[in-house]
Amino acid sequence: MKYAALKKENLNKWLEYLKSKARLYAPKKKENQFVFRPVKNVDEACLKYIPTVIPPKKYYFPQKEKLLKFTVEPFHTAKAIAEFEEFILFAVHTCDIAGIQCMDVAFKEGPEDPNYLNRKEKMTIIGIECLEYCDTHANCASMATHVPRGGYDLMLVDIGEKFIIHINSEKGERLVRNVSYIKEAGAEDMAVLCFVREKKKNIFKEEFSAGLDRVYQAFGDGFKHKVWQDVGRRCVACGNCTMVCPTCYCFDVVDDMDLSLNSGLRYRIWNSCQMDDFAKVAGGEDFRKGRENRQRHRYYRKFRYPVDKFNRYFCTGCGRCSRACMAGINLVETVNALMDGGKLNNA
Amino acid sequence: MLDREILLEKMKTSPYRPMRSKIIEARMLTDKEKFFRIELEDNTRLSYGPGQFVMVSIFGFGEAPISICSSPTDKGYIDLTVRNAGSFTNKLHQLGEGDIVGIRGPFGKGFPVDNMFGCDLVIVAGGLGIVPLRSLIRYLMHNRNDFGSVQILLGCKTPKDLLFGQETKEWMRRAEIKFNCTVDRADPDWKGNVGLITHLIPGVDINPTRTYAVVVGPPIMYKFVIAELLKKHIPDHQIIVSLERRMRCGLGKCGHCQIEGVYVCQSGPVFDYAQLKKFRGECHEKN
Amino acid sequence: MRKTKPRVAFFDFTDCEGCQLQFANMGEGLLQLTELVEIVNFREIMSEAGQDYEVAFVEGSITTESDIKRIQEIRKKAKVLIALGACAATAGVNGMKNRFPLELAKSRVYGDKAGTVNTIASLPLHKVVKVDYFIHGCPVYIPEVLQVVKCVLMQKPYALPNYAVCVECKMNENVCRYEKDQECLGPVTRAGCNSWCINNGNRCYGCRGLVDNPAADAQKDILLKYGLKADEILQRFNLYNDSLGEKYGQEFK
Repeated sequence: MKYAALKKENLNKWLEYLKSKARLYAPKKKENQFVFRPVKNVDEACLKYIPTVIPPKKYYFPQKEKLLKFTVEPFHTAKAIAEFEEFILFAVHTCDIAGIQCMDVAFKEGPEDPNYLNRKEKMTIIGIECLEYCDTHANCASMATHVPRGGYDLMLVDIGEKFIIHINSEKGERLVRNVSYIKEAGAEDMAVLCFVREKKKNIFKEEFSAGLDRVYQAFGDGFKHKVWQDVGRRCVACGNCTMVCPTCYCFDVVDDMDLSLNSGLRYRIWNSCQMDDFAKVAGGEDFRKGRENRQRHRYYRKFRYPVDKFNRYFCTGCGRCSRACMAGINLVETVNALMDGGKLNNA
Repeated sequence: MLDREILLEKMKTSPYRPMRSKIIEARMLTDKEKFFRIELEDNTRLSYGPGQFVMVSIFGFGEAPISICSSPTDKGYIDLTVRNAGSFTNKLHQLGEGDIVGIRGPFGKGFPVDNMFGCDLVIVAGGLGIVPLRSLIRYLMHNRNDFGSVQILLGCKTPKDLLFGQETKEWMRRAEIKFNCTVDRADPDWKGNVGLITHLIPGVDINPTRTYAVVVGPPIMYKFVIAELLKKHIPDHQIIVSLERRMRCGLGKCGHCQIEGVYVCQSGPVFDYAQLKKFRGECHEKN
Repeated sequence: MRKTKPRVAFFDFTDCEGCQLQFANMGEGLLQLTELVEIVNFREIMSEAGQDYEVAFVEGSITTESDIKRIQEIRKKAKVLIALGACAATAGVNGMKNRFPLELAKSRVYGDKAGTVNTIASLPLHKVVKVDYFIHGCPVYIPEVLQVVKCVLMQKPYALPNYAVCVECKMNENVCRYEKDQECLGPVTRAGCNSWCINNGNRCYGCRGLVDNPAADAQKDILLKYGLKADEILQRFNLYNDSLGEKYGQEFK
């Protein structure tokens, strides 16, 4: 079975079933935004939502993660990696799935990161395809992440009365196989799917003023472009853009002694290239001074460096950085200004 | 499922887990720099090359990248020389013989000794730069016939800041290594040069095609020294440097050490000038 | 493991004793703490007042000439002096007094008795004596206090976070207060409180002071984006950060 169909009236039943199989996380409303949370009551899961405050990254690269358990006297280190239970991420947008693919590439590049791999191994991803824009901040069409491109176990598409489920892995198939109310998708279902996808083409239009090749080129030429001065002048260095990014993975390592002062834990904690001390060495030299250079670095880590290194853009088009920026720095405007040689709107 | 077995095997070890290591010798070299000789757990031998570094842990105080200053030809221990420059190194300075630290590594790419075979070497060290270079110098000394002439140019602030003063005599005597030192400020007993290290380079006799220049020092030093070396027509890829950056993991993940798209902990800390030239403007040592 | 427990004393100057109250309310944590240190002087939880101490936690701002003498005496005895809370670390709300000429402030508060009152500008401790550790916040955040205590015992400096409260707030996945039309000082305020207030539905009042290098011009864009007036923001910030008024005034005008 490659495509299955689930009637909407059976969605909650299926969510209960998923909940019985593994820990289930889904988007949930929080005030006027959304967050991924463990599903207690299946009614709370939102299938139509603006990207969550922080991406589901927190489940496979947690904000604060134990690396090591240590004792000073006698010197001892304990296995840093705990056993995790199986978990399912439900209703993940295709942009955030692209984010997971980026993180995979970065953490699987040797030397591999065992903590990351360990969590990832327990994870099942059930995506949902967006049929219209979440809001005006997204640039997923330019990044071509508005359509499913692998990296998931199951993918849901809302075709009206039903969800079409694309089965993309054995892990995924196990969650729909032998479920009485999930049937193989028929020819009629597939026809509707085609129609829905066709309609989508008229809704999603490239947000950048040119294609990605041109974007890549603009970053090649634009290292000293004045746009970085503009962006740097406006940036407050609050760090929001990096904290909410699905492909930012910089971290700091800190030791936390317990009150015995003889044993404790070594953690890694999310860190940001926008912070003042990020590239400072003990002698005092700061190797990336100034907000203009730090912002430029952030953009290059999305649109240039990873393309050279992994042949992959590390921008997923989710729009979170623009949404969360205190100073209204907008990614699409910045990239377009870099390409057009133009100035930013409210610079 | 073979993949899963491989994965589980990998997860048993963590690259974040340091090895228990014992300080077997510790002494102050100057009033700021301390020398440590360290023996690894169960006589484990670290397989490293000159110019690589380790992450040193003191639990509760953290971890820091430190250059190895012994040579792989020194068997049974590694040497580190550390300046007291922050809360971690301050704690490390309080440790002495018999104390335990954690070691991870080695990390990074060291000096390209294999490419240097048969070549002349000009080694330029500024201040603490002599620390990673000591690893190379000891390696040269133990494999002296594999290399041509070796000259060391060393610069430091005052004669009191000179590191490995006694050893340099041994290098000169045992290995026919030429040694020239300059200080910024002399004291009454100083008989050597006074002034910038760049002033020593024009006087050095160099056959550019068969010479490697290896430069390590504070960021400000590089561009001036490299300019002098280029005047001597040494090719870009034969000018070798080692760069210092903030590091937290050593695994090319944490992001702190990046120069543009390059993780210094993995692709460096040793680079040649041809690589440096490719940086667009985030490399202080070049700009 | 430790031979003798360091003796700890608590003192306060001009403050509400709310930070000491945070200690008193620690519950089990306080018991654990007393296994590490010996508390010899703490008015809120004990009656006797020992004068033989190595570590002094000092709450409150310096506001009189006699305060200066007293804090200097404490400094002489203490091996380690810790500024506990906003009043001690930045002068906190007491700093509001410095917005006015001293005579005017005196007459506003004390009326015709102003002449009999001995008072000076509100000062954070480090303007008078050397301070070894700063614990910011109004009140202090107990998990941070414990970190500092551990640092004192391990004889290492406490590295104050030098980034904005927003960083911690995002990690806690709070909905941005600006999205709720509230002015929040998170973007320029020093982190370390784990965005305590915002986690609980409040906004950031800037009680921990500014990060080392706050954006001078950029704040304008925030105001623009959310349609706020500079005066409003300035007023918010003045609540805790007026003792260094010149500096902050520049940043926000």
